[in-house]
Amino acid sequence: MFKALVTECRQLWRLRGLLAVLARRELGARTAGSAGGWLWVWLPPLLTIAAYYLLFDVVFGMRLGAGAPTARVGTYLVVGMLAWSAFADATQRGMGSLLDAGSLLHKNPLPPGLFPARAVLASGVVFAPLLLALLPLYMGAHQWRAGVWAVLPLLALQALLSFLLAYLLAILAAALRDVAQGVQVLLSLGVFLSPVLFPLTLFPERWRWLLWLNPMTAQVLGYQSALLQGAWPPLAVWLALLAWIGVLAALLSLALARSRDQLVDWL
Amino acid sequence: MSAPATHLAALPLRLAGVGKEYRVYDSPRARLKALLTGRALHRSHWALQDVSLELARGQCLGVVGHNGAGKSTLLKLICGTLQPTTGQIGRSGRVTAILELGAGFHPDFTGRQNLYFGGSLIGITHEQMAVLEPEVLAFAEIGEAIDRPVKTYSSGMTVRLAFALVTALEPDLLIIDEALAVGDQHFQKKCIERIQRFRDNGCTILFCSHSPYHIRQLCDVALWLDHGRVMELGPTEPVIGAYEMHTRLLDQPEAPAEPGHAAMIVPTEERPAGEPPAAPGPGAAAASQEAAILSVEIAGLEGEQEPRLLASRDLVATLTVRGRGAERPNIGFMIEQSRGVGITSLATHEEGAAPTEVAPGVWRSVLTFPELPLHSGQYVVSAYLFDASGLAVYDQWYQFLHFRFVTPTLMPGLVKLPHHWG
Repeated sequence: MFKALVTECRQLWRLRGLLAVLARRELGARTAGSAGGWLWVWLPPLLTIAAYYLLFDVVFGMRLGAGAPTARVGTYLVVGMLAWSAFADATQRGMGSLLDAGSLLHKNPLPPGLFPARAVLASGVVFAPLLLALLPLYMGAHQWRAGVWAVLPLLALQALLSFLLAYLLAILAAALRDVAQGVQVLLSLGVFLSPVLFPLTLFPERWRWLLWLNPMTAQVLGYQSALLQGAWPPLAVWLALLAWIGVLAALLSLALARSRDQLVDWL
Repeated sequence: MSAPATHLAALPLRLAGVGKEYRVYDSPRARLKALLTGRALHRSHWALQDVSLELARGQCLGVVGHNGAGKSTLLKLICGTLQPTTGQIGRSGRVTAILELGAGFHPDFTGRQNLYFGGSLIGITHEQMAVLEPEVLAFAEIGEAIDRPVKTYSSGMTVRLAFALVTALEPDLLIIDEALAVGDQHFQKKCIERIQRFRDNGCTILFCSHSPYHIRQLCDVALWLDHGRVMELGPTEPVIGAYEMHTRLLDQPEAPAEPGHAAMIVPTEERPAGEPPAAPGPGAAAASQEAAILSVEIAGLEGEQEPRLLASRDLVATLTVRGRGAERPNIGFMIEQSRGVGITSLATHEEGAAPTEVAPGVWRSVLTFPELPLHSGQYVVSAYLFDASGLAVYDQWYQFLHFRFVTPTLMPGLVKLPHHWG
């Protein structure tokens, strides 16, 4: 069932050096010709973090009700929004990566999976340090509890989840360009159908199941548990994450098997 | 074409029953539906069917065929950018493809950054490229521009850098699509010399071209593809001869006024038949110091009205050219019917003749057809200037002069062949 995906992953591992080169080049291309360079890559998410903290926690001093993983709104938002931004960035860039790399794939015998992987890796280089930078900032709030280290496996699982989803969407977008527009709409809505902006407990209980249709719900809950409470995320979070990864891996493997001979022709 | 079975594993290239099906969908929605459901909603277009061949080390295969014959698909399958639908492809050793040079360069990055990135795409590590870099830069003749963004390069500089990059390491199998040489005359010469050096060192070459002339010059075997099928595969001359015959037959009913695919069509500057060259003649040549045809004089042309009449029984053409440096160039000449087929094409390097240097860098050949053995009619001539090897075409005056020829004869025909009655 996963044969096509396993083959692709083996090729990616064999070409990991080239993957690093491609990711560096993608990041370099974003800042090519600018004097600020990498500053422009990190500045927008840094400003978002600073704005949430200053606006909601310092200026307005807004507080969440009982049942939330933390009382402070800004602190709460930073964790979810950072994880969501990383996911949305990787998914969108990865989804367009095959179409962008069409001319390269027509001239070089490269595995197509290199390009969604490149997009996810480049997004990871931007967002992973920011999420890790929250560790020392948030650890003090819960007396350095060990659960905070769950951020590391959560980051790894988010990278895997993003790659599988981005690659699957990239194949679908190669088949039908409209997929990209549809996914952009879903990403705009998705942030509201997740515990990024509001704690899970604020959603009506009978509609709460809808949130689990969002692959980032478990991920965001996991980060909130680790960073805001210093607690190891509950088993349900890990199971939901693994279930999403399993489903996406199966779908991607199927799409790879069905598009193997034609994918480059579609680009 | 084939090698002993014991050496099959070491063959640089082996194709067994290779076919490529393109699935054609009525709409992108149908394509997505087929992907999601696994249902067959396509029509099949077989771009290639049942292609089998083996190339031994050092062999050069020329691939000919009309547009849509499957040449590009074959090259992409061999490169590995496309997967075959049927059959198997075996490659051994390093494969280098000269396809669209410079297409992967990022305009905002410098030449050096693109060099290292391009190298990584074709399997040259950063460390290897650091060793190769001086030679690549010397070959590309980019100079200090290597640290400028590629968007500031001329198209010639871009393809020079790209060619130097892809040929930095000597391949075991070299795939060339159409462009045998790139850039200006000087760089064309270097490209051809490098390709010939590869070949002399035992590199296997697969050369796809519309130019029967270049296929004949370079290849020892040829493959003629038509509508995705192998029409002929074997020694170059019989295959190319059959292909040209087929082309002429195809052209006849549709465009009798066209002179057809003559033996010396060159890809550097193809023009529609009958159309004069853009700027032939001494004026254009004098404007540049590059190798060029300076003049072609046909003796014995009379009258003011075009086409002029060849009053002499002999056709005597005096061709004067400027060569490149100290190199002795070669000169070619072709006669075609004005509204018909090619009759003959000749070149000094093909016949062991050599132009004479009449002034430093200026060469001349006088070509005489005694008792011109043509029937009455209108004819058109073309002139060509080649490098010493005959591979690089420096200049061409294609169908630049039409003339009439009248010879009294009762019998119909085109040419009087040498003959005797027994």
